[in-house]
This record gives sequence, C-alpha cells and structure tokens, in this order.
Amino acid sequence: MTFRTLLLTTTSAMVLAGAAGAEDYVIGVMSAQSGYLAPYDGPAYAGFQFCIDKMNANGGLNGTHPVRTIVKDTRSDIAEGVKVVQEMIDDGAQFIVSSADADPTIAAAQITMADGIPTMTFAGTAPVLTQVGDHVFGSYPADNQQAAVLAAYAREQGFAKVYLVKSPDSAYTLGGPEYFGTAFEALGGTIVGTSNYSLNQPDFSAIVTTIKAAEPQPDVIVTWAWEPDFPAFIKALRGAGVATQVMGGDVLDTPTVRGLGDVVDGVMHTSGGFPDEGSAYAGFIAEFTAATGTTPDNNYYVNGCDIAHMIEQAVAAAGTTEPRAVAAAMAGIENGKGVMSDFTFKGTDRMPLREVVVARITGAGDKEFVLRATADPATLPRP
Amino acid sequence: MDVILQQTINAISLGGVYAMLALGLAIVFSIVGLINFAHGDIMTFGGYGIFLSLAFGMAPVPALVVGIAAAVVMALTLERTAFRAMRGADVVTLLITSFAVSEILKVVFQNAISARPVPISLPAGWSGTYQVAGTTIGVVPTVSLVVAFTSLLGLSLVLRRTAIGMAMRAAAEDLEMLKLLGVRANRVVAIAFALSGLLAGIAAVIWTAQRGSVDPMMGFFPVLKAFIATVLGGLGSLGGAVLGGFVIGALEVLTQAFLPDSLSPYRDAIVLALVIAALLWRPDGLLPARSATRS
Repeated sequence: MTFRTLLLTTTSAMVLAGAAGAEDYVIGVMSAQSGYLAPYDGPAYAGFQFCIDKMNANGGLNGTHPVRTIVKDTRSDIAEGVKVVQEMIDDGAQFIVSSADADPTIAAAQITMADGIPTMTFAGTAPVLTQVGDHVFGSYPADNQQAAVLAAYAREQGFAKVYLVKSPDSAYTLGGPEYFGTAFEALGGTIVGTSNYSLNQPDFSAIVTTIKAAEPQPDVIVTWAWEPDFPAFIKALRGAGVATQVMGGDVLDTPTVRGLGDVVDGVMHTSGGFPDEGSAYAGFIAEFTAATGTTPDNNYYVNGCDIAHMIEQAVAAAGTTEPRAVAAAMAGIENGKGVMSDFTFKGTDRMPLREVVVARITGAGDKEFVLRATADPATLPRP
Repeated sequence: MDVILQQTINAISLGGVYAMLALGLAIVFSIVGLINFAHGDIMTFGGYGIFLSLAFGMAPVPALVVGIAAAVVMALTLERTAFRAMRGADVVTLLITSFAVSEILKVVFQNAISARPVPISLPAGWSGTYQVAGTTIGVVPTVSLVVAFTSLLGLSLVLRRTAIGMAMRAAAEDLEMLKLLGVRANRVVAIAFALSGLLAGIAAVIWTAQRGSVDPMMGFFPVLKAFIATVLGGLGSLGGAVLGGFVIGALEVLTQAFLPDSLSPYRDAIVLALVIAALLWRPDGLLPARSATRS
C-alpha cells in the first residue's frame, strides 16, 4: 500500500512537472564570457536576462509563457559555439540568441536550420548573417543602414573624398566601410583610397603614412575598426599629425573609445540609440541601475532587452511557440515596440529596420547627439 | 622619398618593440630552456600597472615607471611560483607550463579588471609631431625608437661589462658548471627573469603609448611575433633575437605599405613564408647561438 501510494504520488508529480515544463518557453543563449566577444555578449546578456526576469515576474512572455533560459559560454570560439548550440537544442531550446557577431551567428544558424529554430544575434550587424536561412534574424540596425545614414550625413556636411580603412578578417570590419563607400559614391562622393588591416594588428603607422601620402587627400576617413584596433589606429593617425575627420560604426560607442582623450575629440560614429531625457531608453537605464547597481554604458544592454521584446511580440503574433511559426511571425513584425527604438522586420531581409543615431565624441569623454534617422530601404547598399 | 623615410622609421620603431620582447624571451630561453609564452602577459600586466596608476591619479611619468616595475615584479613572481619548480624539465613540459600560466593570467585580467580594453589617456603633447627636412615625424615613434635602442644598448653593456652579466652568459653556456663554480644559480636565473620583465615593461610602455588601451590579450600577438623573431634569429641567441625582431618589424611594415590592395589580406602569410624561406636557408637562424638549438 505504501509502495503503491509512493508510486502514484511520484508519477503524479512527474506528470505535473512535465506539464508545467511544457509551458515553459526555452531560450538558448550563447554568451561569450571570455575572448573578443565578451565585451559585447556580456552587457547584451545582462540586459536580455533583466527583461526576461521582469516578464517572468508577470507570468512570462505575454503573461502566459514563462521563459527558461539556457546560458552557455562560447569563449568567443566558433567551434565551441556550434557545440553549445547543439547542446541547447538537445536540451529543448525553441529559440537561440547567438553571440554579438556575424560569424558565430552564421555558424549557429547552420545548426538551427534543420529544425527551423529562430536564431537572433545579440548585436551582429553584418547583413550577410541573415542569408543563411529564413530562421535567422538581426536585432541591431544593420551595417548597411548605419553606413547609409552616416554617408548621407557626411555628404550633407560637405565631405566629398573618403579614405576607407577596413579588415577582411570579419564581415563587420569589411562590410561597414564598403557599404559606406557605396552609399557615399551614390550621393556623389569619391573614394580616394583604401587600406586593409588585420584584426589585432600591432601597428598602424604604415597605414597612416599611406593615408598621409594619398593624393588627393581625403576629407574624411571611415573605418569600422573595433577595440583595440581603433584606439591603436586613431593614436597613430593623430600622432602623425593627421587631423582629418574620422567616422566609424556603432562599435566606437564605448567608454574605452571615449576615454582616449584628445585623440578622439570630434570622432563621429553611428549608434543604435541615444538615451534622451525622459525617453524609454533613459527609463531603462535608471531601472537597470537601481536593480543591479551597474549603469549601462553602451547600447548592448538595452538591445539585449529589446531582443526579449522582439521574441515576446513574435510569440504573440504566432499564437504558438512552435519554432517555424515564431520565425515566420517575427519576419512579419511591423513597427514593433522596443526600448532603444521601434523595429520592423516586414519587407526586410530580417535585419530589422531601426533608427540610426549619429553621435560625436568630445575630448572630455562625452558623447553628443547629432541626429537620428532611418535609412531608406530602397537605397540601402546590398550585401 | 618622404614616404620611404617615414616607413623606415615605422619599421625600426615596430622592430624595436619586437626586438625587446624577443630579447626577453631569448634571455630566459638561453639560461633555463624555457620559451615563456607568459611573457606577453607580463607585458599586459605592465600595461594594467600604467592604467591603474593613472586611474588612481598618478602623473603620467611615475605611472609609466610603475608599469615597468609591475612587469618586473610579475616576472620574478612567475619565476618563483611557477617556473622554478619546473626547472630542468624538458622543453615541452616547460612550454605547456608557460601556456598554462599565460591562460591563468588572461582569465585573472578578464575577471579582476575587464574583458574589454581599458583606455590609457596620455597627455596630448605626447602624441604630437615635429618636422625634419620637411618630413612630419611623430613623437611616439621617435621615443619608441630611442627607448628601444637605449634599452638594448644598456642590456648589452650589462651582459658584457658586469659580473652578473658574465654570470648570465655563463649560465646560458652551462648552468651546471656555473653552480660547480659556486655561483648562486637561483639568483642568476631570477635576474634573467627580472631583465626579461624589465624589457616587457618597457615594451608595455611603448605599446600603450602607441595604442592607447590595454586588454587581456594585449601581449599575446606581439609576443607571438617576438617568438617568431627569436626562431628566425636563432633560438637562444641574444643578438639573433634582436636581429630577428627588427627583420620581422621591417617585413610587417614594408608589406603593409607596399603590397597592392589585392594581396594585402595575405600579408601575414607572405611574412611567414619569408621566415620559412630564411629558415630553410639557415636552419639554425640568422645568428645562431654557439650551442645552436634547431628551430
């Protein structure tokens, strides 16, 4: 009798636990805790989990689907990333949030393709990343959107000759300047020279000397170089006495770059958002700071939060958590509501159309708002 | 002409940093047979020393001195805690030990300080320029060049004209014989590590002045190049390490400057192919040590 009662009780508990588990929406998160992606994945994951926790406190996505996250470290290693994605799928992941770069996202998307599991990058901005399949999504304004807005601004300011500094080692560092060049030429500007560098290149003096010797001289230099390459480049450039205007991608929107002092005074870059006083973004920063004691100092935090909102709205639109239906619903979102900015996937190649901010760095280490604009999809440079 | 002069300065400046790092590797290798891949992390530690000193409000020059001192202390600490216990082990064991130490230090930097680069803002005047015969030359590359040559000259004097320098050279020839002669081998090895840390610290100063930031991986790539330089120069040869450093620096700058755009993605491959060709020609390196160790 005792054994039968125990068996019945255990079986009931297992059934109930299984039923409760079935309602969970399982999201797998690739988050590099070390290596070159850690500075981006870390904040993005913090913002994402913060907003997921808030949703879970209210019953989960749309108040009906509690979210269970599986978070695995990739060490910024693509092979490790592929392995952890497979593990997360084996553990029941219905949605994958991938690292903040195109290359690991593309690798992850190859694994998720068979089951059509929607895969969204934390902050990868290379438009090529969505070309793997219909289940792959960007979350941040794509490089071609950023480049188009920045090129239009550069032309408005009267810049006519650009020198591009790019690296073929990543889709981001190669694509950004090339999209800028395409948009800039379409607006009547001219590319007067290009230089290639390697990621983590020890020295930029040779490139700077080449720029100094360029004929005609550029009136603006554009690079999508990230840390630590951009600090090395700008130090070498200013150290050689070249005062030409420098513009770059959203990756320059970091406290490290702003902390470089006089050498970055006047450098302009794109960004995904700007926390205007009284905005939802400013509210997010205040709320996050109060809850965690950490003040978000870059856009990856808020974009991580927006990914939670994108998933919530896609699940609501799909009316189900079935992966292919969620992916299809995500692709149809128009004017979705975000904290950093609103987003539209409908009519895009699944890189969301979002506002792009142009900002200027001051020598005092501040960031000044310059403009906010949305690229025209009809004139976007194609991947 | 201006461009060639400027690129020559760039090549010597970069080569000077590689030479200092390669010499730091070579000093230790010549005495204890250790290829110390944690040498790059000693350099990184020096960079963080500068960053923290500036963050705590120290003036730039004392901060740079603290950075150099930090690298020396770290080198001595590693010698005492990790490498002394492994002395006499085979080359592979020592190599794996140095990789392990390097990985531990990187993880400590990432978790204790930051995974992302931290800025080092030095006075604007330090990034200025001056004119020579119509050519604009940067202050930082010039200082790098002067510091590199002064350091190499100073080290050369220490090794050739002082008792401890002679002891170090003797240890490089035969450490056991040195012990038999009553010289305190531990002290000689520790001083070799201290000198190697000093060179890493000076390299950290030049590197951070040129690059403006420190990150956990800062030392990895230059030390990889420095290792190639020591192999090219001849493993265990101090002069060869210096020569190898300058050759690698020159090859990197010249291929960056003069390769056509279509070939520039192959720059590193071309540099390494040239190194391999040189080693096929001279397998013991360009200036092999007397008891040469084949690359």
